[in-house]
Amino acid sequence: MLGPWEVLAPTARYLLLAVVTAAVMAVEGAAGPVPLILALFAGHALVYLLLAWLVTRLCTRLLSRLHTRARTGVVVAGCAALLLIALLFDLYITPFGGLPRSNLLGLLS
Amino acid sequence: MKRVVLALLLPALLLPALLLPAPNATASEAPFERSEQRSPCTDYDPLRRAFFGDTHVHTALSFDAWGQGTMAGPGDAYRFARGEALGIQPYSRDGLPSRSLQLRRPLDFAIVTDHSDLLGETRICDDPSQEGHDSLVCRVVRRFPKLGYILVNGHVYSSELPSRYSFCGSGGAVCLQAALGPWQEIQQAAEAHYDRSSACDFTTFVGYEWTGMPGGRNIHRNVIFRNATAQRFPTTYIETPTQEGLWQALDRECLKAGNGCDVLAIPHNSNVSAGSMFTITSANGSPISAEDAATRARLETLVEVTQHKGDSECRPGAEDELCAYETLPYARMADMAHIDSEPGKLPPLMYTREVLAEGLVQQARLGINPFKFGLIGSTDTHLAAPGLVDEDSFIGHAAGTVDSRLQVPAFPDRTEFNPGGLAVLWAEENSRDALFAAMRRREAYGTSGPRMAVRMFAGWDYPDDLCGDSDFVEKGYAGGVPMGGDLPAARGAGAPKLALWALRDPAGKQSPSHPLERIQIVKGHLDDGRSVEKVYDVAGEPADPDALDLSTCTTRARGSDQLCTVWTDPDFDPDAPAFYYARVLEVPSCRWNTYLCNRAGVDCDDPGSVPGELATCCDAGVARSIRERAWTSPVWYTPSRQR
Repeated sequence: MLGPWEVLAPTARYLLLAVVTAAVMAVEGAAGPVPLILALFAGHALVYLLLAWLVTRLCTRLLSRLHTRARTGVVVAGCAALLLIALLFDLYITPFGGLPRSNLLGLLS
Repeated sequence: MKRVVLALLLPALLLPALLLPAPNATASEAPFERSEQRSPCTDYDPLRRAFFGDTHVHTALSFDAWGQGTMAGPGDAYRFARGEALGIQPYSRDGLPSRSLQLRRPLDFAIVTDHSDLLGETRICDDPSQEGHDSLVCRVVRRFPKLGYILVNGHVYSSELPSRYSFCGSGGAVCLQAALGPWQEIQQAAEAHYDRSSACDFTTFVGYEWTGMPGGRNIHRNVIFRNATAQRFPTTYIETPTQEGLWQALDRECLKAGNGCDVLAIPHNSNVSAGSMFTITSANGSPISAEDAATRARLETLVEVTQHKGDSECRPGAEDELCAYETLPYARMADMAHIDSEPGKLPPLMYTREVLAEGLVQQARLGINPFKFGLIGSTDTHLAAPGLVDEDSFIGHAAGTVDSRLQVPAFPDRTEFNPGGLAVLWAEENSRDALFAAMRRREAYGTSGPRMAVRMFAGWDYPDDLCGDSDFVEKGYAGGVPMGGDLPAARGAGAPKLALWALRDPAGKQSPSHPLERIQIVKGHLDDGRSVEKVYDVAGEPADPDALDLSTCTTRARGSDQLCTVWTDPDFDPDAPAFYYARVLEVPSCRWNTYLCNRAGVDCDDPGSVPGELATCCDAGVARSIRERAWTSPVWYTPSRQR
């Protein structure tokens, strides 16, 4: 965590919050803690993007040893399983959202 | 047997004098000026009674309370104070509250003090018919309440240069106009719930909170009007960002308006002011003048010493071990998010005791004491729930700390917060004029919640057996001054005598209370220009802290139902200015978190069984017991050469 909030949210969420904060800053100015908050959101987004990229690279290397068909199957099954988990369970802690805890749909709604 | 009989008989003899009205009193003898039309109170007591209330209450009209899902307005707050039930968040989609609150005992008075800053913005963002409702900031606030809270707070409350948002239009006109609606609602609710009948059951005041927090340093003031005549518009931190500016506005728009307006300002939370609340320099950096000191002393006769956001009496880590009570571990309100302050690093003049001592220093320099204030407690509720102070039912502060909009949190608030306290005023009757006069003359005290009755008189000639006298109160007034007063000039070579009397909260079956442990006198005086503090145990004795069973919250400590003494200052120096106030302690009892953790069945001996959200229950760094207490307003002694 880069900030004081207990948050577990997808990178897209941080990007959205960063965009919202940047918009407020553009319209209303940079008074108070707005730049700091923007930096924290952007920082979270960058760090998580970097982590996601590293994990993807690692997975790609591991999967490259498989045959094409098997690789496709593993990737599709893995993505589907992750998506299903994100949709079915309240994984995310989102104090900046409409719900304190939610699944992916709740987060994006 | 004799002790038992005496213990039963003494309160029976003295209680009427302490609490009940004198039989032959009439309202026409009132020693305070009447500034309003109302029926005379049937219960009028020239020897004064203790009235319990809450002077610090936020409702849905406050931006931060609204952002936390509070929907109750000023009228709901007053109904709650009078004993009615109040529904609170989270609300269902149909707008039904999921929780209901009710006071065990109604209050005698309450004051709604919504934030004057953002009154208009809150209304605009909430009401689709208002111009500016679809502005970017309002959309963000509605869609991302927590983010909106942080952004807006930072932009306004905690900014060194607060400003209005662009949707407020030129000069903030749109928001200022929108604020008139809620400001009128506040005044109308105060009028509607003020009991002007001869029953005098309940008193309200028109009020608001001026919410200055430059650089995150809290300098908030609650502004209280004596009667229905108030400022046309409450002073805001945005337009008036200094405390001197606030006082000037109150003078200009109220006291000198020539329309019967009268007003006081009550500072609160000096414990998170980083020393900015009670400054000895003006806004321009120069030392305060005698005129500045006089203005402050005239307008700020009371200070809120305890509330949800901690205790402001004395510095933690000081020699007085009882200062380690509901202490916040940070110097500025803004440090709440990043706890990095240590008690030893806290700046000076953050606590009322050291500010009272500084007042003596300033009096020696200027001839007038700028910090001559009495002490009260209150809650600062943001749930429109005044007086909800019982440890076993704390449900949180609800102003942007723990999110309670959409679900009931397992832990209602930050562990360093607490249920807050009450303001107690000694007044002849329960009317605005009588209570306001008590606030002005500082005949007031604060409690951490319990409704203990505390009298303190200071004089030179009280007999040592005054406690056995059924005319204790009458002789107390006749022979000296009550709390909040100035000791009269010495008559001879003796030392000041303080007559003290405390009665345990009578409570009742529905409201458990704890026995009294002891009365202490806190004395501050100047010694060669330096302030010196000393604490004396003057009645009762310390209880065994192990007498409290934390698993059941029952205690074996006996304590006392009442304590009374006449104390003579053994270290009196007639050349040293001094102040004295009393601190009345109950025997140790469970803190709110202990009640909560016990109810949840938390077993810290089996850590694997403790749910993650209740892990704090087993945090050894969080106090599990407290000594509930009362703090009287001080009395001051001034040597003849300084008078």
